[in-house]
Amino acid sequence: MSRAAAQTVDVDGRTLTLSNRDKVLWPQDGYTKADLVAYYRTVAPYMLPHLAARPLTLQRYPDGIGGQSFFEKNAPRFLPAWVPTVTVTSEFGRHETVRFASAAPRTVRFILCNDEATLVYVANLAAIVLHVWTSRDGSLDVPDFLFFDLDPHDGCTLATLGKVALALRDALTEIGLRALVKSSGGSGLHVIVPLAPEYDYDFCKGFAELVARALHARLPDRTTLQRMPARRPLGTVYLDYVQVGRGKTMVAPYSVRARDGAPVSMPLEWSEVEAMARKRAAGTEGEFGRFSVKNVPPLLRKRGDLWSEAGQDGQRLEPALALARTAFAAASNAAER
Amino acid sequence: MAHAIWTGAINFGLVTIPVRLQTAIRTNDLRFNFLHKADEGRINNVRRCSVDGQDVSYDEIVRGYEYEKGQYVILDDEDFKRVNPEATQSVDIVQFVELGEIDPMYFDKPYYLEPEKRGRHAYALLREALRTSGKVGIAKVVIRSREHIAALKPNGDALVLELMHYADEIVDAAHLELPASEKPAENEMKVAQMLIDTMTEAFDPTQFRDTYREELLAMIEARAAGKEVPSPEVAAPRRDNVVNLMDVLQKSLEQSRQSRGPDGAATSYDAKSGAARERPDEKPKKQSRRKKSAA
Repeated sequence: MSRAAAQTVDVDGRTLTLSNRDKVLWPQDGYTKADLVAYYRTVAPYMLPHLAARPLTLQRYPDGIGGQSFFEKNAPRFLPAWVPTVTVTSEFGRHETVRFASAAPRTVRFILCNDEATLVYVANLAAIVLHVWTSRDGSLDVPDFLFFDLDPHDGCTLATLGKVALALRDALTEIGLRALVKSSGGSGLHVIVPLAPEYDYDFCKGFAELVARALHARLPDRTTLQRMPARRPLGTVYLDYVQVGRGKTMVAPYSVRARDGAPVSMPLEWSEVEAMARKRAAGTEGEFGRFSVKNVPPLLRKRGDLWSEAGQDGQRLEPALALARTAFAAASNAAER
Repeated sequence: MAHAIWTGAINFGLVTIPVRLQTAIRTNDLRFNFLHKADEGRINNVRRCSVDGQDVSYDEIVRGYEYEKGQYVILDDEDFKRVNPEATQSVDIVQFVELGEIDPMYFDKPYYLEPEKRGRHAYALLREALRTSGKVGIAKVVIRSREHIAALKPNGDALVLELMHYADEIVDAAHLELPASEKPAENEMKVAQMLIDTMTEAFDPTQFRDTYREELLAMIEARAAGKEVPSPEVAAPRRDNVVNLMDVLQKSLEQSRQSRGPDGAATSYDAKSGAARERPDEKPKKQSRRKKSAA
């Protein structure tokens, strides 16, 4: 059975062996590894521009979504020679929050998923979730988008999440910045601001904090900046602006998530978020579960890549900062605790 | 005062110098206990037999050497004693060598030798003789029932006994892929040499500190005092309002512009290099809605 499950495929002139194709990764839905590979091949033309040249972290589920999973930053040792990689020195080892200056520098060799063959290769590793850096090879120290993770806390309604996302969009519009939105594939929304890759991570992090604080000042009851989940007020949206940094990642657009139903992180129209803000659903997951490996491919053929402009229009932050002086002035006077 | 590991003698030829062996290295490692996450109970190690499933006490335990998969030779305490070297408590010098002859890879762990009262004169004599000759003694010594080779070296006013590795403990570098035959060009060498010269300074080991340990300790102290753990975000200057934050950002922009030069363009980063250029364009891109505004 499993012998028969191996198969070679030809992708752009590369011959790949797909192993264990019948392995069921989503037991409830019966989706197999072959389904995962097929999905990623279908969405490749839309997805690859967002993966290209970005250090890739794989979240692998060799035993399916119910089994052990692990994050893989370092490319496997048996990586085919044609897969492009970039070797990055990480100063802080595994510790992300506490920086131990003495932690020895180590190098990590990341896969760069620049073509369909590589995408098929990583899908065959049962890498369900694909995480990417916010910067690209050649300019790894300067991100090309700001990233806000809107994470609904317990008791947060779909309408609240929608309203907070719209308020974030409006705040950014006021300072001349255009934002793109996608579902996280879980319960939240991801908002990005495409940037000219000219501002270092410290600056971008500070800028994201500025926007998040201004938004929190405008919507103190609907948002929280509290990083400890237990201390977040019920029914709020956590504005996670700290996911900006060298080595920090975002779930790539069109990445599948390891949840029942095989939901997909899907770029959205802002009008869809406006519709969300009017809905009465108690939770948020039902809303986003409708984007899955089954229905995203036909939907994409219909509406194309809503994020196709990401990376094309490098917005600048100098004028935005100048505009923020007046736009966020009210926020600065508001009660800040 | 550190306590002596043993009291014995340095022997060479017919000379005997009574000495105490003292530790020279302090281990600063922080010690942690394993606790149950849920109730902070201490974790006990249980030794359980894999055959009968019973807990086993220490006196029921023997050591087995697996000479073949699943096949053991059993050794008991008596067996170990039988091959133990005699606990001579002496540093037996077998030869003298030039210090430079010893590959520093062989040095493992230093101990101090402190003379007993009646050995002070001979101790000083050996130390001065070694210093003048530039040689060190190679000695056999038993510490904690294991025999070692060691180098006896003068160090300030002290004699230091530095335990050494046996030759078969050093891993051969032959299996590494090393560029043995590569001869760098002369001008490359010149540049490398210059770089080394400019970075050359007196070695001061006190410049280097175990900051990992210090930061761990700071974290532990803060937790013990009931304070928030100092993570970089918390430790950073508090920005109490967005206006302060805007000032900080403005300043950082200006600084980075100065370091970049007058045109404001980043010179150190090439945003469009590498594979970013090769993104597939499967459909004509719309013109950007917003033109890049001039800085």
